[in-house]
Amino acid sequence: MIRRRLALVGAVLLVGACVERLAGPGHCPDYCPSGQITVVDTLLTTSINRDSSYRGYVLAYQAAFMLAANLPGATDTLDGRPIFRINGYGPRFRISTVDTSTGPILGADSARLQVSIVRRDTATHNLWLHLYRLPITIDTSTTFGSVVPFTDSLRSVNVDTLLAQPGGKDPVTGDSAVVADTATHRVLVSLKLDTAAARYIATDSGTVAYGIRIAADTLASIAFGKGAFGPSLQWYLRVDSLGMPVARTPGAPLSARLASFVFAPPPAPLDSTLAVGGVPSARSLLRVAFPKVIRDSAQIIRATLFLVPAVAARGAPADSFVIEARSVFADFGAKSPIDLRLSDTTVIHVGATDTVKIEVTNLLQAWAADSTHPTVLVLLPEREAQVFGEIRFYPSVAAAFRPTLQVTFVRRFPFGVP
Amino acid sequence: MRRADRWTGGRAVSAAGVLAALLLSASPPDRLSAQDSQFGIRGLGTPGRWESVRSRSTGGAFGPFDPLSPLMEASLADIGQLTGTAAGGTSNRDVLVGGTTTSLRATRFPVMGVAGPVARRLAVSVGFTTYLDKSWDVTLRDSFMLRGVLQRYTDEITSDGSVADIRLAAASRLTRRIALGAGLHVLAGSTRMTAERQFDDSTFHRVQQSAEARYDGLGVSGSVLIGLAPGLTIAGWARRDNRLRAKVADTTSAVTDLPLMAGGGVLFAPSPSARLGASVAWRSWSKAGAGAFDTWTWSAGAEFGSRRMPIRLGARGGQMPFGPGTEAPTEVAGSLGTGRAFAQGRALIDLGLERLERRGGGLTERVWTVLVGLTVRP
Repeated sequence: MIRRRLALVGAVLLVGACVERLAGPGHCPDYCPSGQITVVDTLLTTSINRDSSYRGYVLAYQAAFMLAANLPGATDTLDGRPIFRINGYGPRFRISTVDTSTGPILGADSARLQVSIVRRDTATHNLWLHLYRLPITIDTSTTFGSVVPFTDSLRSVNVDTLLAQPGGKDPVTGDSAVVADTATHRVLVSLKLDTAAARYIATDSGTVAYGIRIAADTLASIAFGKGAFGPSLQWYLRVDSLGMPVARTPGAPLSARLASFVFAPPPAPLDSTLAVGGVPSARSLLRVAFPKVIRDSAQIIRATLFLVPAVAARGAPADSFVIEARSVFADFGAKSPIDLRLSDTTVIHVGATDTVKIEVTNLLQAWAADSTHPTVLVLLPEREAQVFGEIRFYPSVAAAFRPTLQVTFVRRFPFGVP
Repeated sequence: MRRADRWTGGRAVSAAGVLAALLLSASPPDRLSAQDSQFGIRGLGTPGRWESVRSRSTGGAFGPFDPLSPLMEASLADIGQLTGTAAGGTSNRDVLVGGTTTSLRATRFPVMGVAGPVARRLAVSVGFTTYLDKSWDVTLRDSFMLRGVLQRYTDEITSDGSVADIRLAAASRLTRRIALGAGLHVLAGSTRMTAERQFDDSTFHRVQQSAEARYDGLGVSGSVLIGLAPGLTIAGWARRDNRLRAKVADTTSAVTDLPLMAGGGVLFAPSPSARLGASVAWRSWSKAGAGAFDTWTWSAGAEFGSRRMPIRLGARGGQMPFGPGTEAPTEVAGSLGTGRAFAQGRALIDLGLERLERRGGGLTERVWTVLVGLTVRP
């Protein structure tokens, strides 16, 4: 009996000890602690200095996509054209699969070229792809002026018309277009090239080069895939076998060895403004004199970088782009290694001239936490050379429009004071 | 003794030992606290009650005469044998302010100690009790203009910890009528403090700061117990603490003077089954700075029945040392309790229930406290 009572008392005590509820509403100042959370908001107008821009981080041939555009503007037309080169099999090809005997390649009966449209504005209608043959000498240094105008036209297809066909296939031409990935809306366009278009020139080792020009009713700005989603060519060859031409189909299509794009007009040369974006991509460095009073004894709860555009953001109107602010591991100017751990971003709309605000709270908090971290901000496009968009901001030398930082921070709470 | 009684007593001592272990190990030292109060938020904290469950059940009136209450040292002279004690209490507190009522709950372990004779006329004690409870949690909803926009936010400022009074005491019965005692008090403790602000606008990151404040201080005390007549005893005590120093990150953040205290009491036992007591105390808390007041407290109580299972009741009242305005908040309480001795008196469990009301500065606190005390005499 006594044991049971003791156990009951112990259980009650333990249950009671496990529950604690101390939080009560504060009625200040009478029943609140004397110390309060003090928020300070300050505009650092002269803390950003020694800013500069650099271009050439990602070139057109290094970009993840091939950009195509045909956008008439007030003064000029933004004209972007993918170019790519596909190496052939050489002058000879295996006749049989059971031995290694080869025969000279006489030519091609036909070929099938596949390209992937990986980005397309849904408002783009009546999209045409015009395929041209280009000199096989195109390389990474090829410019718009050296290949345009395209003259050797091969085929033209209307992607929207193809997509509207049953199964996305034109039974007359053999062309097709299908949405290969419903998640990314990637469209795979397959073009059938006849004997005249599919010229296999053995003396060139079968190497071919093509260029694509696009057109649409509006907003003709798209991106073609590279690499796994890049152009591929399936040859249907004629091979000489002891004087007899035989048809041979290589097992796998050939992919592009060079995939790039050319465009006009070229980006304006860098000047004193802070350029971000474009192709080749430009970045800007902003060096921040971070006040010690904030760095050492405060908690930053919000920091906003204000940038005033010097000119309206340029690029394809439909292709708003994201620029991001990052920090660097060390300040080596143009070659500063970027700290990829943290970033703050904002969206730039082409044609806009409004002041751009980037919340850089994460970066400034990182600076406050690590006093050895360089207080340098890098502005760069989130996807370098994947859009034509570029924006230029006023630099720190433009006193009235210079970049500024607005920092909201909390002073150290007076702990331990009654 | 019958066999059954011996068996029951042995099991009881074991069970009491288990319970004692639970009490003693359930919480780390800096969770040792007394009764929380919103009145302590603005000041140094809420002063502890230096009373065992037995004394507290009599309103504190028996405190000066109870060797297990760390209020006076002289009463240790009659401890007789090695004794360990611990107490725990769970409080349900309703806070009424500004037309709203908030229910709070806390469990505290305010007293722990060991005492015993070391020579024919000398007894010593070591233990600790709560000097100041500094556990509270305040939430606040407000707004202010920030970046040209009215920003709404929720603050939560918390303090979790206490200042413990670690006492080394000695007492001696000089004559049959007079006993003297003295004590050395080391004040030590810490609080884990946090300050958080969450804005409704998530663009502003959460404010989250925390620190551990450590406290230290020293004090001395002395007391006397005088038997005026058979069954009639009076007591007097005084205590002086120097200051409470708060350190945050090894930097002194505050130094606060601590009060001089003095008090006395009378105990009248007209028969072996009836004991009546009363006590009074004064503390110069106004030395602690603005918003602090000197306090008077009184108590009266009685214990009836055998020591094996008595009935206790009491009342107390007085002032609280910290509060807003120009007058000290007041408190009044009623209590009752009982006890049960096991194993030939080697284990005692005391139970108490206290109803307390504090008023002042537009705030009223009403508290129910359930107390459990355990005493072991091995």
